[in-house]
Amino acid sequence: MASTLSEWVNQQITILTCDGRLITGTLAGYDQLQNLILKHSLEKVYSMEAPVERVPLGLFVVRGDNVAVISDCFDKGDDGDEGEKDGDVRAEPIKAIHQNVT
Amino acid sequence: IFFSFFKTLVGKEVAVELKNDVVLTGTLHSVDQYLNIKLTNVKVVNENKYPQLTALKNCFIRGSVVRYVQINPNDVDTELLEDATRKENSAVAAG
Repeated sequence: MASTLSEWVNQQITILTCDGRLITGTLAGYDQLQNLILKHSLEKVYSMEAPVERVPLGLFVVRGDNVAVISDCFDKGDDGDEGEKDGDVRAEPIKAIHQNVT
Repeated sequence: IFFSFFKTLVGKEVAVELKNDVVLTGTLHSVDQYLNIKLTNVKVVNENKYPQLTALKNCFIRGSVVRYVQINPNDVDTELLEDATRKENSAVAAG
């Protein structure tokens, strides 16, 4: 049962936000509402025209309402240094999710 | 009622379609009372459309972003599920 994020604490994870953004970072903390604290976060912006744009964000607090998916990063190279392997990836941006307001 | 239903599916292969049209397939690892889903061995269905997500292995999907969960019909006893939901609905209607 325990569907918690404890196994990913202090690990590199990738977050998909409700507005379709991909943010990678180290999970520093979380709570039951999926509010997250990410260290050394990096936003990856994909588009059809340009190669992947990386935007360093440093320490980030993300409100749980805005989190869609949290996953670990399957790094093919384990040197901690994010290689430019996906530098040539071009893709359409991911759609935003329209959340119902309660 | 659906929480118990998902608990019976732990270990099965499912496909989860999110509200932003992304479809992920994987093995159901765990579920919680909010119907948040943890999938292991995740594969993105349209990899050519979403190359951003190929590095995924395990993921935690927030319950509120799920549109559908597609299950293999052999893994589900639909009659039992129908009966259970019918009972729950008549209890709600009577009360």
